[in-house]
Amino acid sequence: MAPAKLVAERITHRFADTLALHDASLEIPAGAFVSIVGPSGSGKSTLFNVLSGLLEPTSGRVLIDGSEVTGETGHVGYMLQKDLLVPWRTVVGNVVLGAALTRGATDRDEAEARGLAERYGLAGFQDHYPHALSGGMRQRVALMRTLAVHADVLLLDEPFGALDSQTRLEMQQWLLEVWDELDRTVLFVTHDVDEAIFLADRVLVMSPRPGRIAAEIDVSIPRPRRLETLTSPAFMALKRQLLDLLYGQGAA
Amino acid sequence: MSGWRRAGRMATPVLAVVGVFVLWDLTVRVFDVKPYLVPSPASTFQAIADDWEILRPYTWTTVTETVLGFVLGAVVGFVLAVLMSRWSLVQRVVYPLLVGSQAIPIVAIGFPLVILLGYGLRPKVSIVAFIVFFPVVVNVLDGLANVDRDLLNLAKVMSGRPWRVFLLIELPATVTPLFSALKLGATYAVTGAVLGEWIATTTRGLGNYLLVQNSRLNTDAVYGAVLLLTAIGVSGFLLVLALERLATPWRSRSTARRWRRPTPAGSDVAGPSSEPSVAVTGPVSEDGARGEGDRS
Repeated sequence: MAPAKLVAERITHRFADTLALHDASLEIPAGAFVSIVGPSGSGKSTLFNVLSGLLEPTSGRVLIDGSEVTGETGHVGYMLQKDLLVPWRTVVGNVVLGAALTRGATDRDEAEARGLAERYGLAGFQDHYPHALSGGMRQRVALMRTLAVHADVLLLDEPFGALDSQTRLEMQQWLLEVWDELDRTVLFVTHDVDEAIFLADRVLVMSPRPGRIAAEIDVSIPRPRRLETLTSPAFMALKRQLLDLLYGQGAA
Repeated sequence: MSGWRRAGRMATPVLAVVGVFVLWDLTVRVFDVKPYLVPSPASTFQAIADDWEILRPYTWTTVTETVLGFVLGAVVGFVLAVLMSRWSLVQRVVYPLLVGSQAIPIVAIGFPLVILLGYGLRPKVSIVAFIVFFPVVVNVLDGLANVDRDLLNLAKVMSGRPWRVFLLIELPATVTPLFSALKLGATYAVTGAVLGEWIATTTRGLGNYLLVQNSRLNTDAVYGAVLLLTAIGVSGFLLVLALERLATPWRSRSTARRWRRPTPAGSDVAGPSSEPSVAVTGPVSEDGARGEGDRS
């Protein structure tokens, strides 16, 4: 068992009179890929905002590599369903955004961004503006921007939620490839049960509001995973188990 | 083919203007309009040519007033908008005053301005600036208020420094609304200059020329002045349009202009076909094997 990279201890968060999170705890081993699923309104995004440091929880602690980072930004890479690319910056300009906003992007940052774009499917598009890219390409740029901040922990909040199903499949395989090469710890929120299992070592299930981690399922399907994985018996069994957990026995 | 289409697109507005002149000429000829009521285009141009020695310095004066006032109004408006968006107290104090200022009829404020600033360039420039600055304030303020909250949050997660976030994300977001305001301003600015000249009538500008020729019933000279004023306004608009295209390449082009590109492709450290380099993986690669046992 690898040491815990990211730990959330009994996170509770209250907005005015709504309890969004109640004693949500999790522990993510270094280098792991963990998915989080849960019904809408189960506080997944609130949890991510707490983990990224955007939101100071009412109570509870966040630790990265054993040191407390509760309410502190700058420790994780963060990516949303909206690609949030800056329209007046080129692909390279967007990838180096993290550096540009903190210390100024250097030639080295830009060379690295070019290299990332070259390797991960955007060769020849480095100097394009975002409006000239397809939805899938834009999400690739958004992920590269997240990678380029060199955070060990990546929080991906439904990053492929807005893509059509074919592009989404391509992007999932691409993400696994990137993750395999770059060895980051990934926490991946999704609505899509298939996506959650296909990508992850472990799936966390959140309860309806107030959100907490209600169950954990280990995904012991060997990697590398391919399209056939999606229809394998092991996959189906896990999917049934997960649907049971999410919607109760009757729905599966 | 696309070259022809492009040429066609460029020619359309020119043809429209020519069409207006043709229509004007035909109307005067067909209905036999008296030259002192409406002169023909030809006699209007003749009037400009005859008076050119006077009109050239006059036009220059009006252009100077217009440009100075336009730039002053744009700068003041922009700075005000930025200050207002940074400090909400400034906004609460200044905004109602701005709205109030625009309710004052511009003609009415002209007289006190002349009393205050004299008959020279300053009252005209002030009036032009007064007209131009308001749409700039409103549009830039809107631009700053409409920056995507999620993008600002992302900048926060990246630990972006506030002034860098302002320079790289918030300020560029005002460029498009700023230019909408400047396009309006470019056409209104001439009106301001003419108004200023009418109030402080000693100025040797086109507005003044217009008044004098009108009192002499030199209709063709009046039309000539109107044409020149129109030309100033249209040129200003076109200039702003060209500046906008230069300032917002991401709206008209799919790639950055060569000189704007950060690092020229091919000369970089992590070249196209490089191995997974240190630059790409960064500090994480030092213990690349970490977590291996945990997968699958």
